[in-house]
Amino acid sequence: MAMAQAQTVAVPGQLLGSSSKYVAGPGTHIHESNLYSSLLGTIRIVQPEKAPGPAKRMHRIAALNTPNTPSSTSTLPAISVSPASSGAAEQHDKREVLPEVGNIVLCRVTRITPREATVSILVVGDAMLSAQWQGVVRVQDVRATEKDRVKIYESFRPGDIVRAQVISLGDQANYYLSTANNELGVIMAISEAGNTMFPVTWKEYKDPETGLSESRKVAKPL
Amino acid sequence: MADRRRINGPVGTTLPPIFDRPSPPRDRVENPENAIRKIFLKTGVTPSASGSAYLELESPNMTSPSNTSLKLTCTVHGPRALPRSAPFSPHIILTTHVKYAPFATKQRRGYLRDSSERDLGVHLETALRGAIIADRWPKSGADIIVTIIEGDQDRNAPENQRDDCWDMMNVLSGCITVASAAIADAGIDCVDTVAGGVAALVAKDATSSPSIVLDPAVADYHKIHAACCIAYLPTRDEVTNIWFKGQLPGADVMLYNNMVERALIACRNANRVVVTALKKTINAEQEAS
Repeated sequence: MAMAQAQTVAVPGQLLGSSSKYVAGPGTHIHESNLYSSLLGTIRIVQPEKAPGPAKRMHRIAALNTPNTPSSTSTLPAISVSPASSGAAEQHDKREVLPEVGNIVLCRVTRITPREATVSILVVGDAMLSAQWQGVVRVQDVRATEKDRVKIYESFRPGDIVRAQVISLGDQANYYLSTANNELGVIMAISEAGNTMFPVTWKEYKDPETGLSESRKVAKPL
Repeated sequence: MADRRRINGPVGTTLPPIFDRPSPPRDRVENPENAIRKIFLKTGVTPSASGSAYLELESPNMTSPSNTSLKLTCTVHGPRALPRSAPFSPHIILTTHVKYAPFATKQRRGYLRDSSERDLGVHLETALRGAIIADRWPKSGADIIVTIIEGDQDRNAPENQRDDCWDMMNVLSGCITVASAAIADAGIDCVDTVAGGVAALVAKDATSSPSIVLDPAVADYHKIHAACCIAYLPTRDEVTNIWFKGQLPGADVMLYNNMVERALIACRNANRVVVTALKKTINAEQEAS
């Protein structure tokens, strides 16, 4: 992916170019077939990826997971405006990101009921969230098969760290999340004795000290 | 407004200190026709907020030592999650608070917001809502808090029967400008940088005929007939908020149009300050990184 190092700054409302020359990336908007910046930041122009041979059959989630890269059909470079503070390491990233439909998120289970597990979303993609966003994994979204036999308390426990996918903006308070995939589920769990456990099967985590196993919806280790 | 929970300051007028030797009277500076008073604008002044800005207006004819007449600070908190009780919203919900500091005007202000402050808040929200791309941030809210540290009043001007509501126009245009910078600093998507401007129909003294001026320092004029405060998006050429007050003498229809046109010039001038201040912020950040 060629990254043009044109370090020019943009303020909201600044004309970036015609929409026939660029694809609108994050931080921009289109008005009367022209691209304008909608954020204060630096302009980045990303050349479209050249398709290396026949494209691999994309995973459903992987395809959804990359909304920022231009789709393989477009040949136009994508222009985007990113806030400048994200480049500075010592400054904390002031830019908030929102969980969007299709994003992979990391979250901590806060509460379980027979119908759903309530989680607080900590990370979206590779961006840490500074605000508290709440999500819900409903019992029918825990796994793809045998949905009617899923029991929340055999899948999650409060304190678990879960990798999940956003499936909906949900209701007023919660994002709706799903773990119905091999890659999704519990990635870190603490046993009842208080030890960090390791996964042994798709359904079990084991405590290395007491040797007891607990049931979880286990994510495939990467 | 009896507020028993706090120690309140004196009710009514407070007098500024009187110096032994008053500062020498400066020559009255007439602003050029299409110029507004000088603006100082800086973003990122409040570390705990997601975005913030500070605005100061220079007033060359002011007799006070500081030579300023309007001081505003704005903080933006958010985008952040809405409270649990709020209904689902597919776009960002703006909440604006405009508050005078107790010492900001000649008449002391209470700690609770009064009707004029709420009025300013509603005007500010209308002005900003037209500039923000609200559907980029579903299910979230942003609080915009403007504190008026010093109102646009000449404290040494004699107490008279003059309606003191005219300075609210200048305060509103400052609020719009400072909030626009703070929102850009917070990283909330906008279609343009909105800026506020004021034009007024004034009589310079008792005999002269009324003329239109930009950004009027209220104390400098004998009488203000009408004033108009506009929030304007320059690259889009759109007006997001207009507030017209007063009586136009005669039946000159073009006078109203002229005032709006002149207020737009003031908006463009203020917008140039916002853009320069924002570019300065980002260049400083780039050098730091």
